[in-house]
Amino acid sequence: MKVLVAVKRVIDYNVKARVKPDNTGVDLTNVKMAMNPFCEIAVEEAVRLKEKGVASEIVVVSIGPKVAQEQIRTSLALGADRGILIETDEEVQSLDAAKLLKAVFEKEQPNLVILGKQSIDSDNNQTGQMLAALTGMPQGTFASEVAVEGDKVNVTREIDGGLVTVALNTPAVITTDLRLNEPRYASLPNIMKAKKKPLELTSPADLGVELKPSLTTLKVEEPATRQAGIKVADVAELVDKLKNEAKVI
Amino acid sequence: MTQEQLIEELKKLLDEGKVRTDNDALQTFGKDWTKIHEPKPIAIVFPKSTEQVQAIVKFANEHNIGLVPSGGRTGLSAGAVATNGEIVVSFDYMNQILEFSGSDRTVRCQAGVVTEQLQNYAEEQGLYYPVDFASAGSSQLGGNISTNAGGIKVIRYGMSRDWVLGLKVVTGNGDILELNKDLEKNNTGYDIRHLFIGAEGTLGFITEATMKLTRQPTNLTVLVLGLADLDNTMNVLQTFQQKIDLTAYEFFSHQAMGHVLAHGDVPAPFEGEAPYYALLEFEAISDGVMDDAMALFEKCVEEGWVVDGVISQSETQAQNLWRLREGISESIAPHTPYKNDISVVVSKVPEFLQEIDAVVTEHYPDFEIIWFGHIGDGNLHLNILKPSDLPKEEFFEKCLQVNKWVFQIVEKYNGSVSAEHGVGLTKKDYLSYTRSPTEIEYMKGIKRVFDPKNIMNPGKVIDL
Ligand SMILES: Cc1cc2nc3c(=O)[nH]c(=O)nc-3n(C[C@H](O)[C@H](O)[C@H](O)COP(=O)(O)OP(=O)(O)OC[C@H]3O[C@@H](n4cnc5c(N)ncnc54)[C@H](O)[C@@H]3O)c2cc1C
Repeated sequence: MKVLVAVKRVIDYNVKARVKPDNTGVDLTNVKMAMNPFCEIAVEEAVRLKEKGVASEIVVVSIGPKVAQEQIRTSLALGADRGILIETDEEVQSLDAAKLLKAVFEKEQPNLVILGKQSIDSDNNQTGQMLAALTGMPQGTFASEVAVEGDKVNVTREIDGGLVTVALNTPAVITTDLRLNEPRYASLPNIMKAKKKPLELTSPADLGVELKPSLTTLKVEEPATRQAGIKVADVAELVDKLKNEAKVI
Repeated sequence: MTQEQLIEELKKLLDEGKVRTDNDALQTFGKDWTKIHEPKPIAIVFPKSTEQVQAIVKFANEHNIGLVPSGGRTGLSAGAVATNGEIVVSFDYMNQILEFSGSDRTVRCQAGVVTEQLQNYAEEQGLYYPVDFASAGSSQLGGNISTNAGGIKVIRYGMSRDWVLGLKVVTGNGDILELNKDLEKNNTGYDIRHLFIGAEGTLGFITEATMKLTRQPTNLTVLVLGLADLDNTMNVLQTFQQKIDLTAYEFFSHQAMGHVLAHGDVPAPFEGEAPYYALLEFEAISDGVMDDAMALFEKCVEEGWVVDGVISQSETQAQNLWRLREGISESIAPHTPYKNDISVVVSKVPEFLQEIDAVVTEHYPDFEIIWFGHIGDGNLHLNILKPSDLPKEEFFEKCLQVNKWVFQIVEKYNGSVSAEHGVGLTKKDYLSYTRSPTEIEYMKGIKRVFDPKNIMNPGKVIDL
């Protein structure tokens, strides 16, 4: 079985994001970038499928600037076989990303496409679903367990109030949730080997997709700062504040 | 004067509610992280200003009562411990950052500012305070300076001492001194500031400090390498140092890591195991540095020093790899470890380690030995874990017997019986393995100048 995994280069989860002074977006100059955590989980799941002998080839695809090759190289070090970078410096919104992935899907004909449930920069949670709709593939989103049985794949999904398991015919789309697995570190020997693995460069134009952002960002602002707490002298004051200021009792 | 009257008098010197004598407070504030000694203070006081501290010192001189300075109480040598009817002076309410100067890159703080609070403040100003260790979330600047704390970045940034530009102190005599006026250069005779750094509160109280800040490091990247043998640690260090300025070089044994992994929430670095691990950190400022790191790793593998290794690909991974090292102290704490914190010059580390390891294994065949440390600075933490069925007293008794063997080796290698944790009570009896009798006499002389009545942390470091 051939697995296609999509990975995105995003601002590092541990970096405190700062808004640009002109409020047009998040300031990315000299900011540490890394693989989206949900994409790390997607890569790990594919590698585990390969280790179990279920997957025969893992292809990793990323859409973004030239430096996004770093995240593809990381995926190759983790165990993917080859990479594709769809290079663009333009903003890529969910629908365009889904169209680009559809083009790759048609070319590569994988049996499974694994994506993160969302990327932590825009938090849209749309690309996987849109890809499924555009290609007509079944989808198992928010996966916490994936089990392949013949040409079916059982995906346990995290939903409000519990878990639900769906059986999908392949080819299928899976989006990963946090509890699916714990990604491994890239080992240094594997990072060195990964340098020799093939990485193909392509572009939206090569794939016949025109990027057409459908949303316009008006303004980006810092979240409102929380007010500092205060100390009250006694219970009477507390009750008074809860009643008259917070108006909760 | 009865004790009750004494406490009433004391209350007049402090804000309301800032003198506590309840058992809870006496037990909590009467001890540090060591928990070996039974706390027996008569009161805990919480001053809010240098003037209040001065009033307390004058009061203690008048009534001949010992004072124990108390910071975050994370000290590992029983320095902030009151076992003998002292008054504990806590800096918990002197925790304000007073002044920042961007052009001088300095920040003036009260002594009770928590280390992490200073680190975060520096970051908010786009700068960096580099002294860091696992207890930074609780330890205070006053405690850090008084123990001249080191930590995980010493190899690049030095000890706490290197970041202190000015101090405000109250001496054991009750005088307020402003030391060094925050100057980078000031060659006007004896630098009294440096006597207070590392004095463990035996000369007086530090009430304010002006600390230096530096630029933020760029893209800190962590490697964890599996070492084939203890001897390889220094080869690996030297190989990397030839090309890269490391910001940290730590080591830990497989057993040490085992305790951290047993806690559950940190993943192992790689599947296979190695007897020892080295953690390296550096600024990956360019692709060139990364290529160098890869080439150096390859060389270490070819030489047979390193069996496997991983590199952080994100901040989260860097933090998780650090937790393998930083989590050790906490994960072994339930086993009541007996700790030694010893050092030699870096070049002698391999021989020194072999010799100590041999002695310890010979004398403690039944005890679990945990090795880790800031090995890039020649600093090793030797921890001996208490078997669960052995009573605490008996265990410490046995450890003390073997101390002699360990410290004789330290002496032979011209090393230190306390690299960064200080002397306090736990290492006082062993001071002579590192300091000559004449030197100790001079130390006593210095103490008498600043604290003639021996009220400042009496019985710690040296006896008068
Ligand atoms: C998990 C863990 C990891 C650690 N790792 C390291 C490490 O890597 N490197 C290292 O160097 N240490 C380490 N330590 C030891 C300890 O955290 C440091 O020595 C720290 O600097 C102590 O600060 P504190 O505020 O807790 O001091 P305390 O324990 O409260 O006091 C330490 C000494 O300073 C005196 N003192 C405190 N405040 C003042 C003041 N205002 N004026 C005068 N004297 C004062 C006390 O009387 C005492 O003698 C570690 C401790 C723990 C628990």
